[in-house]
Amino acid sequence: MTRDWKQFLLFLISPLLLLLVWWWVAAAGWYSDDILVSPAAVWATLEELIANGELALHLKASFFRLLTGFGLGAVAGVLFGIWMAISPRVEAFALPLFQGLRQVPTIALIPILILLLGVDEIFKVIIVTKAAFLTVALAAYDATKGVSKNYFEVARIYHLPKTTLYRKLIVPAITPPVFTGLRIAFSRSWTILVAAELLAADSGIGQMMQLGREMFRLDVVMVGVVITGLVGFSIDKLFKWAEIRLIPWPAAAKA
Amino acid sequence: MQNSFYKWVPDWRGWVLPILVILAWDAMSRLDANHAYAFASLGQIWDGVVGLCQSGELLVNVHASVQRALTGLLLGASAGFLVGSLVAVSRTANILITPIYHAIRQVPLLGLVPLFALWFGNGDTSKLIVVSLSAFYPVVLSTFEGMWQVDRKFNEVGQVYRLSRWQIYRRITLPAALPQVFTGFSLALAFAWLATIGSELLFTAGAGLGNLMMNAQEASRMDVLIIVTFVIGVLGYLMSLLIKLASAHLFKWRQVH
Repeated sequence: MTRDWKQFLLFLISPLLLLLVWWWVAAAGWYSDDILVSPAAVWATLEELIANGELALHLKASFFRLLTGFGLGAVAGVLFGIWMAISPRVEAFALPLFQGLRQVPTIALIPILILLLGVDEIFKVIIVTKAAFLTVALAAYDATKGVSKNYFEVARIYHLPKTTLYRKLIVPAITPPVFTGLRIAFSRSWTILVAAELLAADSGIGQMMQLGREMFRLDVVMVGVVITGLVGFSIDKLFKWAEIRLIPWPAAAKA
Repeated sequence: MQNSFYKWVPDWRGWVLPILVILAWDAMSRLDANHAYAFASLGQIWDGVVGLCQSGELLVNVHASVQRALTGLLLGASAGFLVGSLVAVSRTANILITPIYHAIRQVPLLGLVPLFALWFGNGDTSKLIVVSLSAFYPVVLSTFEGMWQVDRKFNEVGQVYRLSRWQIYRRITLPAALPQVFTGFSLALAFAWLATIGSELLFTAGAGLGNLMMNAQEASRMDVLIIVTFVIGVLGYLMSLLIKLASAHLFKWRQVH
Protein backbone atom coordinates (compact mmCIF):
# COMPACT_ATOMS: atom_id res chain seq x y z
CA MET A 1 0.00 0.00 0.00
CA THR A 2 2.67 2.52 1.01
CA ARG A 3 4.59 1.73 -2.16
CA ASP A 4 1.52 2.42 -4.27
CA TRP A 5 1.06 5.73 -2.48
CA LYS A 6 4.66 6.69 -3.06
CA GLN A 7 4.33 5.83 -6.73
CA PHE A 8 1.11 7.85 -6.95
CA LEU A 9 2.68 10.91 -5.33
CA LEU A 10 5.71 10.69 -7.62
CA PHE A 11 3.40 10.60 -10.63
CA LEU A 12 1.79 13.83 -9.43
CA ILE A 13 5.04 15.81 -9.69
CA SER A 14 5.07 16.55 -13.40
CA PRO A 15 1.37 17.39 -13.82
CA LEU A 16 1.61 19.81 -10.91
CA LEU A 17 4.80 21.29 -12.37
CA LEU A 18 3.05 21.71 -15.70
CA LEU A 19 0.11 23.41 -14.04
CA LEU A 20 2.47 25.72 -12.19
CA VAL A 21 4.35 26.67 -15.36
CA TRP A 22 1.07 27.24 -17.17
CA TRP A 23 -0.21 29.44 -14.36
CA TRP A 24 3.05 31.35 -14.17
CA VAL A 25 3.38 31.97 -17.92
CA ALA A 26 -0.25 33.10 -18.11
CA ALA A 27 0.26 35.45 -15.15
CA ALA A 28 3.37 36.92 -16.79
CA GLY A 29 1.10 38.22 -19.53
CA TRP A 30 3.35 37.38 -22.49
CA TYR A 31 0.48 36.07 -24.57
CA SER A 32 -2.95 37.49 -25.34
CA ASP A 33 -6.11 35.89 -24.01
CA ASP A 34 -6.97 34.04 -27.22
CA ILE A 35 -3.58 32.28 -27.15
CA LEU A 36 -3.22 31.50 -23.47
CA VAL A 37 -5.63 31.79 -20.58
CA SER A 38 -4.70 31.06 -16.98
CA PRO A 39 -5.88 27.88 -15.26
CA ALA A 40 -7.93 30.11 -12.95
CA ALA A 41 -9.82 31.60 -15.90
CA VAL A 42 -10.54 28.11 -17.28
CA TRP A 43 -11.82 27.08 -13.86
CA ALA A 44 -14.01 30.19 -13.64
CA THR A 45 -15.47 29.45 -17.07
CA LEU A 46 -16.14 25.88 -16.03
CA GLU A 47 -18.02 27.10 -12.94
CA GLU A 48 -19.98 29.55 -15.05
CA LEU A 49 -20.91 26.89 -17.60
CA ILE A 50 -22.05 24.61 -14.80
CA ALA A 51 -23.98 27.35 -13.01
CA ASN A 52 -25.95 28.52 -16.06
CA GLY A 53 -26.72 24.93 -17.01
CA GLU A 54 -25.09 25.19 -20.42
CA LEU A 55 -22.62 22.40 -19.83
CA ALA A 56 -25.33 20.05 -18.58
CA LEU A 57 -27.39 20.81 -21.69
CA HIS A 58 -24.49 20.02 -24.04
CA LEU A 59 -23.50 16.90 -22.15
CA LYS A 60 -27.10 15.67 -22.19
CA ALA A 61 -27.32 16.13 -25.94
CA SER A 62 -24.00 14.35 -26.50
CA PHE A 63 -24.79 11.48 -24.14
CA PHE A 64 -28.18 10.91 -25.74
CA ARG A 65 -26.56 10.51 -29.17
CA LEU A 66 -23.71 8.44 -27.79
CA LEU A 67 -25.88 6.00 -25.85
CA THR A 68 -28.55 5.61 -28.53
CA GLY A 69 -26.04 5.14 -31.34
CA PHE A 70 -23.75 2.89 -29.35
CA GLY A 71 -26.63 0.83 -27.95
CA LEU A 72 -28.07 0.15 -31.39
CA GLY A 73 -24.70 -0.53 -32.98
CA ALA A 74 -23.38 -2.73 -30.18
CA VAL A 75 -26.43 -4.99 -29.91
CA ALA A 76 -26.70 -5.41 -33.67
CA GLY A 77 -22.93 -5.86 -33.88
CA VAL A 78 -22.72 -8.65 -31.31
CA LEU A 79 -25.60 -10.56 -32.87
CA PHE A 80 -24.40 -10.15 -36.43
CA GLY A 81 -20.79 -10.91 -35.54
CA ILE A 82 -21.73 -14.23 -33.94
CA TRP A 83 -24.07 -15.10 -36.79
CA MET A 84 -21.37 -14.41 -39.36
CA ALA A 85 -18.91 -16.63 -37.48
CA ILE A 86 -21.31 -19.54 -37.02
CA SER A 87 -22.98 -19.69 -40.40
CA PRO A 88 -20.60 -20.34 -43.30
CA ARG A 89 -23.23 -19.02 -45.69
CA VAL A 90 -23.60 -15.65 -43.96
CA GLU A 91 -19.83 -15.47 -43.74
CA ALA A 92 -19.39 -16.08 -47.47
CA PHE A 93 -21.93 -13.42 -48.37
CA ALA A 94 -21.19 -10.70 -45.80
CA LEU A 95 -17.53 -10.92 -44.79
CA PRO A 96 -16.04 -9.43 -47.98
CA LEU A 97 -18.34 -6.42 -47.74
CA PHE A 98 -17.35 -6.05 -44.09
CA GLN A 99 -13.65 -6.20 -44.88
CA GLY A 100 -14.17 -3.62 -47.58
CA LEU A 101 -16.14 -1.25 -45.36
CA ARG A 102 -13.49 -1.56 -42.70
CA GLN A 103 -10.95 0.13 -44.97
CA VAL A 104 -12.89 3.39 -44.96
CA PRO A 105 -12.44 5.42 -41.78
CA THR A 106 -15.85 6.26 -40.31
CA ILE A 107 -14.97 9.92 -40.26
CA ALA A 108 -14.65 9.91 -44.05
CA LEU A 109 -18.35 8.97 -44.24
CA ILE A 110 -19.44 12.16 -42.45
CA PRO A 111 -19.77 14.31 -45.61
CA ILE A 112 -21.81 11.65 -47.42
CA LEU A 113 -24.11 11.19 -44.44
CA ILE A 114 -24.60 14.94 -44.07
CA LEU A 115 -25.60 15.17 -47.72
CA LEU A 116 -28.01 12.24 -47.38
CA LEU A 117 -29.50 12.91 -43.96
CA GLY A 118 -28.87 16.57 -43.30
CA VAL A 119 -27.28 17.77 -40.07
CA ASP A 120 -30.15 16.69 -37.83
CA GLU A 121 -30.09 14.37 -34.85
CA ILE A 122 -30.45 11.27 -37.00
CA PHE A 123 -27.12 11.90 -38.74
CA LYS A 124 -25.19 11.98 -35.47
CA VAL A 125 -26.91 8.87 -34.10
CA ILE A 126 -26.27 6.95 -37.33
CA ILE A 127 -22.59 7.82 -37.54
CA VAL A 128 -22.12 6.61 -33.96
CA THR A 129 -24.15 3.47 -34.70
CA LYS A 130 -21.98 2.72 -37.71
CA ALA A 131 -18.75 3.19 -35.77
CA ALA A 132 -19.97 0.93 -32.96
CA PHE A 133 -21.55 -1.72 -35.18
CA LEU A 134 -18.53 -2.40 -37.36
CA THR A 135 -16.06 -2.54 -34.47
CA VAL A 136 -18.25 -4.74 -32.28
CA ALA A 137 -19.34 -7.04 -35.12
CA LEU A 138 -15.73 -7.73 -36.09
CA ALA A 139 -14.75 -8.30 -32.44
CA ALA A 140 -17.65 -10.74 -31.95
CA TYR A 141 -16.81 -12.46 -35.24
CA ASP A 142 -13.13 -12.87 -34.37
CA ALA A 143 -13.98 -14.03 -30.86
CA THR A 144 -16.43 -16.68 -32.03
CA LYS A 145 -14.04 -17.85 -34.74
CA GLY A 146 -11.38 -18.10 -32.06
CA VAL A 147 -13.31 -20.61 -29.94
CA SER A 148 -11.40 -23.87 -30.18
CA LYS A 149 -12.84 -26.37 -32.66
CA ASN A 150 -12.33 -29.07 -30.06
CA TYR A 151 -15.05 -27.61 -27.88
CA PHE A 152 -17.51 -27.72 -30.76
CA GLU A 153 -16.59 -31.33 -31.46
CA VAL A 154 -17.12 -32.30 -27.86
CA ALA A 155 -20.48 -30.53 -27.95
CA ARG A 156 -21.41 -32.44 -31.10
CA ILE A 157 -20.39 -35.78 -29.69
CA TYR A 158 -22.52 -35.18 -26.63
CA HIS A 159 -25.43 -34.04 -28.82
CA LEU A 160 -25.63 -30.81 -26.92
CA PRO A 161 -28.83 -28.90 -27.69
CA LYS A 162 -28.38 -25.59 -29.52
CA THR A 163 -29.44 -23.48 -26.54
CA THR A 164 -27.01 -25.22 -24.21
CA LEU A 165 -24.29 -24.83 -26.83
CA TYR A 166 -24.84 -21.09 -26.82
CA ARG A 167 -25.31 -20.71 -23.07
CA LYS A 168 -22.53 -22.98 -21.88
CA LEU A 169 -19.94 -22.67 -24.62
CA ILE A 170 -20.19 -19.73 -27.00
CA VAL A 171 -21.34 -16.98 -24.67
CA PRO A 172 -18.84 -17.64 -21.88
CA ALA A 173 -16.00 -18.16 -24.35
CA ILE A 174 -16.52 -14.96 -26.30
CA THR A 175 -17.60 -12.61 -23.52
CA PRO A 176 -14.10 -11.41 -22.51
CA PRO A 177 -12.91 -10.51 -26.04
CA VAL A 178 -16.29 -9.07 -26.99
CA PHE A 179 -16.18 -6.88 -23.92
CA THR A 180 -12.80 -5.56 -24.99
CA GLY A 181 -14.34 -4.88 -28.40
CA LEU A 182 -17.19 -2.98 -26.75
CA ARG A 183 -14.75 -0.85 -24.82
CA ILE A 184 -12.78 0.04 -27.94
CA ALA A 185 -16.02 0.67 -29.84
CA PHE A 186 -17.24 3.02 -27.14
CA SER A 187 -14.13 5.15 -27.21
CA ARG A 188 -14.27 5.24 -31.02
CA SER A 189 -17.92 6.23 -30.85
CA TRP A 190 -17.07 9.06 -28.51
CA THR A 191 -14.30 10.34 -30.78
CA ILE A 192 -16.45 10.19 -33.89
CA LEU A 193 -19.34 11.91 -32.11
CA VAL A 194 -17.15 14.79 -30.98
CA ALA A 195 -15.86 15.15 -34.55
CA ALA A 196 -19.39 15.06 -35.98
CA GLU A 197 -20.51 17.69 -33.47
CA LEU A 198 -17.57 19.89 -34.39
CA LEU A 199 -18.67 19.73 -38.02
CA ALA A 200 -22.42 20.03 -37.72
CA ALA A 201 -24.55 20.40 -34.62
CA ASP A 202 -26.68 22.83 -32.71
CA SER A 203 -25.80 21.35 -29.34
CA GLY A 204 -23.35 18.94 -27.76
CA ILE A 205 -19.90 19.21 -26.26
CA GLY A 206 -18.27 19.32 -29.72
CA GLN A 207 -20.52 22.16 -30.80
CA MET A 208 -19.68 24.05 -27.62
CA MET A 209 -15.98 23.83 -28.52
CA GLN A 210 -16.65 24.78 -32.13
CA LEU A 211 -18.54 27.88 -30.98
CA GLY A 212 -15.68 28.71 -28.63
CA ARG A 213 -13.28 28.41 -31.55
CA GLU A 214 -15.35 30.73 -33.72
CA MET A 215 -15.65 33.33 -30.96
CA PHE A 216 -11.97 33.05 -29.97
CA ARG A 217 -13.00 31.94 -26.48
CA LEU A 218 -9.98 29.84 -25.60
CA ASP A 219 -11.32 29.30 -22.07
CA VAL A 220 -14.48 27.63 -23.42
CA VAL A 221 -12.40 25.48 -25.77
CA MET A 222 -10.13 24.44 -22.91
CA VAL A 223 -13.10 23.46 -20.77
CA GLY A 224 -14.39 21.39 -23.70
CA VAL A 225 -11.04 19.66 -24.15
CA VAL A 226 -10.84 18.77 -20.46
CA ILE A 227 -14.45 17.55 -20.37
CA THR A 228 -14.11 15.35 -23.48
CA GLY A 229 -10.94 13.91 -22.00
CA LEU A 230 -12.63 13.24 -18.66
CA VAL A 231 -15.66 11.63 -20.30
CA GLY A 232 -13.47 9.35 -22.44
CA PHE A 233 -11.32 8.44 -19.46
CA SER A 234 -14.26 7.72 -17.13
CA ILE A 235 -16.05 5.55 -19.66
CA ASP A 236 -12.90 3.56 -20.32
CA LYS A 237 -12.35 3.04 -16.60
CA LEU A 238 -16.01 2.10 -16.15
CA PHE A 239 -15.71 -0.59 -18.81
CA LYS A 240 -12.53 -1.96 -17.26
CA TRP A 241 -14.14 -1.99 -13.83
CA ALA A 242 -17.25 -3.73 -15.14
CA GLU A 243 -15.09 -6.24 -17.00
CA ILE A 244 -13.48 -7.37 -13.75
CA ARG A 245 -16.79 -7.45 -11.89
CA LEU A 246 -18.98 -9.09 -14.49
CA ILE A 247 -16.57 -11.58 -15.98
CA PRO A 248 -14.89 -13.55 -13.22
CA TRP A 249 -13.62 -16.21 -15.57
CA PRO A 250 -10.47 -15.70 -17.67
CA ALA A 251 -10.36 -15.66 -21.47
CA ALA A 252 -10.66 -19.16 -22.95
CA ALA A 253 -7.82 -20.92 -24.70
CA LYS A 254 -7.56 -19.98 -28.35
CA ALA A 255 -7.98 -22.44 -31.22
CA MET B 1 -1.41 -27.00 -55.09
CA GLN B 2 -5.06 -27.18 -55.93
CA ASN B 3 -6.01 -25.66 -52.61
CA SER B 4 -3.77 -22.67 -53.04
CA PHE B 5 -5.22 -22.16 -56.51
CA TYR B 6 -8.77 -22.09 -55.20
CA LYS B 7 -7.72 -19.63 -52.55
CA TRP B 8 -7.05 -17.08 -55.25
CA VAL B 9 -10.42 -17.49 -56.94
CA PRO B 10 -12.75 -15.28 -54.94
CA ASP B 11 -15.99 -16.84 -53.78
CA TRP B 12 -18.78 -15.47 -55.98
CA ARG B 13 -21.04 -15.13 -52.96
CA GLY B 14 -18.85 -12.34 -51.61
CA TRP B 15 -19.76 -10.18 -54.60
CA VAL B 16 -23.52 -10.45 -54.19
CA LEU B 17 -24.00 -7.90 -51.41
CA PRO B 18 -21.68 -5.22 -52.77
CA ILE B 19 -23.30 -5.47 -56.21
CA LEU B 20 -26.78 -5.33 -54.68
CA VAL B 21 -25.82 -2.22 -52.72
CA ILE B 22 -24.51 -0.57 -55.87
CA LEU B 23 -27.62 -1.51 -57.88
CA ALA B 24 -29.93 -0.27 -55.12
CA TRP B 25 -27.99 2.97 -54.99
CA ASP B 26 -28.28 3.42 -58.75
CA ALA B 27 -32.01 2.61 -58.63
CA MET B 28 -32.54 5.23 -55.93
CA SER B 29 -30.88 7.85 -58.07
CA ARG B 30 -33.32 7.13 -60.90
CA LEU B 31 -36.51 7.39 -58.83
CA ASP B 32 -37.24 11.09 -59.30
CA ALA B 33 -35.55 14.47 -59.44
CA ASN B 34 -35.23 14.71 -55.67
CA HIS B 35 -33.49 11.37 -55.43
CA ALA B 36 -31.31 12.11 -58.42
CA TYR B 37 -30.07 15.09 -56.46
CA ALA B 38 -29.29 13.15 -53.28
CA PHE B 39 -27.98 9.92 -54.86
CA ALA B 40 -25.52 10.08 -57.72
CA SER B 41 -26.15 7.54 -60.50
CA LEU B 42 -23.36 5.25 -61.72
CA GLY B 43 -23.11 7.34 -64.90
CA GLN B 44 -22.68 10.52 -62.88
CA ILE B 45 -20.03 8.88 -60.72
CA TRP B 46 -18.13 7.78 -63.82
CA ASP B 47 -18.35 11.30 -65.25
CA GLY B 48 -17.07 12.53 -61.90
CA VAL B 49 -14.05 10.22 -62.10
CA VAL B 50 -13.23 11.49 -65.59
CA GLY B 51 -13.71 15.10 -64.51
CA LEU B 52 -11.59 14.80 -61.38
CA CYS B 53 -8.80 13.06 -63.26
CA GLN B 54 -8.80 15.47 -66.20
CA SER B 55 -8.75 18.57 -64.04
CA GLY B 56 -5.93 17.07 -62.01
CA GLU B 57 -7.91 17.81 -58.84
CA LEU B 58 -7.79 14.22 -57.63
CA LEU B 59 -4.05 13.91 -58.11
CA VAL B 60 -3.28 17.20 -56.34
CA ASN B 61 -5.37 16.28 -53.32
CA VAL B 62 -4.21 12.67 -53.14
CA HIS B 63 -0.66 13.96 -53.22
CA ALA B 64 -1.36 16.49 -50.46
CA SER B 65 -3.03 13.91 -48.22
CA VAL B 66 -0.50 11.12 -48.69
CA GLN B 67 2.36 13.53 -48.18
CA ARG B 68 0.75 14.84 -45.01
CA ALA B 69 0.11 11.35 -43.66
CA LEU B 70 3.69 10.22 -44.32
CA THR B 71 5.31 13.41 -42.98
CA GLY B 72 3.19 13.25 -39.85
CA LEU B 73 3.93 9.55 -39.49
CA LEU B 74 7.66 10.18 -39.74
CA LEU B 75 7.64 13.09 -37.28
CA GLY B 76 5.25 11.50 -34.79
CA ALA B 77 6.82 8.05 -34.91
CA SER B 78 10.37 9.39 -34.48
CA ALA B 79 9.34 11.51 -31.53
CA GLY B 80 7.36 8.56 -30.15
CA PHE B 81 10.34 6.27 -30.48
CA LEU B 82 12.61 8.72 -28.64
CA VAL B 83 10.14 9.35 -25.84
CA GLY B 84 9.27 5.65 -25.54
CA SER B 85 12.95 4.70 -25.32
CA LEU B 86 13.64 7.39 -22.75
CA VAL B 87 10.75 6.30 -20.56
CA ALA B 88 11.81 2.65 -20.79
CA VAL B 89 15.45 3.31 -19.98
CA SER B 90 15.25 6.05 -17.35
CA ARG B 91 13.16 5.88 -14.21
CA THR B 92 13.18 9.66 -13.80
CA ALA B 93 11.84 10.12 -17.31
CA ASN B 94 9.19 7.51 -16.59
CA ILE B 95 7.98 9.36 -13.51
CA LEU B 96 7.95 12.75 -15.25
CA ILE B 97 6.58 11.83 -18.69
CA THR B 98 4.15 8.95 -18.12
CA PRO B 99 1.42 10.85 -16.20
CA ILE B 100 1.34 13.72 -18.70
CA TYR B 101 1.34 11.31 -21.64
CA HIS B 102 -1.64 9.39 -20.26
CA ALA B 103 -3.52 12.55 -19.32
CA ILE B 104 -3.22 14.12 -22.77
CA ARG B 105 -4.00 10.83 -24.50
CA GLN B 106 -7.46 10.76 -22.92
CA VAL B 107 -8.67 13.62 -25.08
CA PRO B 108 -10.10 12.36 -28.38
CA LEU B 109 -7.58 13.53 -30.97
CA LEU B 110 -10.10 15.44 -33.06
CA GLY B 111 -11.39 17.11 -29.87
CA LEU B 112 -8.10 18.99 -29.87
CA VAL B 113 -8.93 20.53 -33.24
CA PRO B 114 -10.58 23.72 -31.88
CA LEU B 115 -7.63 24.28 -29.56
CA PHE B 116 -5.06 23.85 -32.33
CA ALA B 117 -7.14 26.07 -34.60
CA LEU B 118 -6.78 28.92 -32.11
CA TRP B 119 -3.10 28.25 -31.52
CA PHE B 120 -1.75 27.32 -34.94
CA GLY B 121 -4.39 28.52 -37.40
CA ASN B 122 -6.72 26.72 -39.73
CA GLY B 123 -4.25 25.21 -42.19
CA ASP B 124 -1.33 22.87 -42.79
CA THR B 125 0.50 23.43 -39.47
CA SER B 126 -2.49 22.37 -37.40
CA LYS B 127 -3.20 19.40 -39.66
CA LEU B 128 0.38 18.20 -39.42
CA ILE B 129 0.34 18.47 -35.63
CA VAL B 130 -2.84 16.39 -35.38
CA VAL B 131 -1.42 13.72 -37.72
CA SER B 132 1.93 13.64 -35.90
CA LEU B 133 0.20 13.28 -32.54
CA SER B 134 -1.91 10.41 -33.85
CA ALA B 135 1.27 8.57 -34.86
CA PHE B 136 3.10 9.58 -31.69
CA TYR B 137 0.77 7.89 -29.16
CA PRO B 138 0.95 4.26 -30.33
CA VAL B 139 4.69 4.34 -31.02
CA VAL B 140 5.47 5.62 -27.50
CA LEU B 141 3.42 2.81 -26.03
CA SER B 142 4.80 0.00 -28.20
CA THR B 143 8.40 1.20 -27.85
CA PHE B 144 8.07 1.39 -24.10
CA GLU B 145 6.39 -1.99 -23.78
CA GLY B 146 8.78 -3.64 -26.20
CA MET B 147 11.81 -2.43 -24.29
CA TRP B 148 10.28 -3.02 -20.88
CA GLN B 149 9.62 -6.65 -21.67
CA VAL B 150 13.15 -7.44 -22.78
CA ASP B 151 14.37 -10.29 -20.63
CA ARG B 152 16.36 -8.99 -17.65
CA LYS B 153 18.81 -11.83 -18.18
CA PHE B 154 19.92 -10.25 -21.44
CA ASN B 155 20.71 -7.01 -19.63
CA GLU B 156 22.62 -8.93 -16.99
CA VAL B 157 24.74 -10.53 -19.68
CA GLY B 158 25.50 -7.03 -20.89
CA GLN B 159 26.51 -5.97 -17.41
CA VAL B 160 28.75 -9.00 -17.03
CA TYR B 161 30.49 -7.97 -20.23
CA ARG B 162 30.81 -4.46 -18.77
CA LEU B 163 28.92 -2.81 -21.59
CA SER B 164 28.03 0.84 -21.07
CA ARG B 165 24.36 1.86 -20.74
CA TRP B 166 24.39 3.07 -24.32
CA GLN B 167 25.91 -0.20 -25.53
CA ILE B 168 23.29 -2.22 -23.65
CA TYR B 169 20.58 -0.11 -25.25
CA ARG B 170 22.08 -0.27 -28.71
CA ARG B 171 23.10 -3.97 -28.73
CA ILE B 172 20.50 -5.60 -26.49
CA THR B 173 17.37 -3.56 -25.70
CA LEU B 174 16.80 -2.04 -29.11
CA PRO B 175 17.16 -5.18 -31.27
CA ALA B 176 15.01 -7.20 -28.88
CA ALA B 177 12.26 -4.58 -28.87
CA LEU B 178 12.35 -3.82 -32.59
CA PRO B 179 9.52 -6.13 -33.73
CA GLN B 180 7.12 -4.61 -31.23
CA VAL B 181 8.25 -1.10 -32.10
CA PHE B 182 7.34 -1.94 -35.67
CA THR B 183 3.91 -3.20 -34.62
CA GLY B 184 3.32 0.21 -33.07
CA PHE B 185 4.56 1.81 -36.26
CA SER B 186 2.03 -0.03 -38.39
CA LEU B 187 -0.73 0.97 -35.96
CA ALA B 188 0.56 4.52 -36.21
CA LEU B 189 0.18 4.42 -39.99
CA ALA B 190 -3.51 3.51 -39.73
CA PHE B 191 -4.08 6.26 -37.16
CA ALA B 192 -2.12 8.79 -39.21
CA TRP B 193 -4.28 8.14 -42.26
CA LEU B 194 -7.45 8.50 -40.21
CA ALA B 195 -6.14 11.69 -38.61
CA THR B 196 -5.16 13.06 -42.02
CA ILE B 197 -8.68 12.73 -43.36
CA GLY B 198 -10.24 13.92 -40.09
CA SER B 199 -8.02 16.97 -39.77
CA GLU B 200 -8.63 17.88 -43.41
CA LEU B 201 -12.37 17.75 -42.81
CA LEU B 202 -12.09 20.00 -39.76
CA PHE B 203 -9.35 22.45 -40.80
CA THR B 204 -10.80 24.06 -43.87
CA ALA B 205 -7.73 25.75 -45.34
CA GLY B 206 -5.41 24.07 -47.86
CA ALA B 207 -5.48 20.99 -50.08
CA GLY B 208 -6.24 17.35 -49.26
CA LEU B 209 -8.85 14.67 -49.85
CA GLY B 210 -10.77 15.78 -46.76
CA ASN B 211 -10.88 19.35 -48.04
CA LEU B 212 -12.01 18.11 -51.44
CA MET B 213 -14.84 16.28 -49.66
CA MET B 214 -15.92 19.31 -47.66
CA ASN B 215 -16.07 21.40 -50.83
CA ALA B 216 -18.02 18.65 -52.57
CA GLN B 217 -20.44 18.46 -49.65
CA GLU B 218 -21.09 22.20 -49.80
CA ALA B 219 -21.66 21.96 -53.55
CA SER B 220 -23.88 18.87 -53.05
CA ARG B 221 -21.66 16.79 -55.33
CA MET B 222 -22.49 13.25 -54.17
CA ASP B 223 -20.54 11.75 -57.09
CA VAL B 224 -17.32 13.42 -55.91
CA LEU B 225 -17.95 12.32 -52.31
CA ILE B 226 -18.40 8.68 -53.35
CA ILE B 227 -15.25 8.70 -55.45
CA VAL B 228 -13.11 10.35 -52.79
CA THR B 229 -14.38 8.00 -50.05
CA PHE B 230 -13.49 5.06 -52.27
CA VAL B 231 -10.04 6.47 -52.97
CA ILE B 232 -9.46 7.03 -49.23
CA GLY B 233 -10.32 3.37 -48.54
CA VAL B 234 -8.07 2.06 -51.31
CA LEU B 235 -5.13 4.25 -50.31
CA GLY B 236 -5.48 3.24 -46.67
CA TYR B 237 -5.57 -0.42 -47.67
CA LEU B 238 -2.51 -0.10 -49.92
CA MET B 239 -0.49 1.63 -47.23
CA SER B 240 -1.31 -0.99 -44.61
CA LEU B 241 -0.48 -3.73 -47.13
CA LEU B 242 2.89 -2.10 -47.77
CA ILE B 243 3.65 -2.02 -44.05
CA LYS B 244 2.62 -5.66 -43.68
CA LEU B 245 4.94 -6.73 -46.50
CA ALA B 246 7.78 -4.65 -45.08
CA SER B 247 7.26 -6.17 -41.65
CA ALA B 248 7.29 -9.72 -43.02
CA HIS B 249 10.49 -8.92 -44.90
CA LEU B 250 12.28 -7.13 -42.05
CA PHE B 251 11.51 -9.61 -39.34
CA LYS B 252 12.13 -12.86 -41.19
CA TRP B 253 14.85 -13.65 -38.68
CA ARG B 254 12.31 -13.70 -35.91
CA GLN B 255 10.46 -16.74 -37.19
CA VAL B 256 13.57 -18.87 -36.72
CA HIS B 257 12.95 -19.03 -32.98
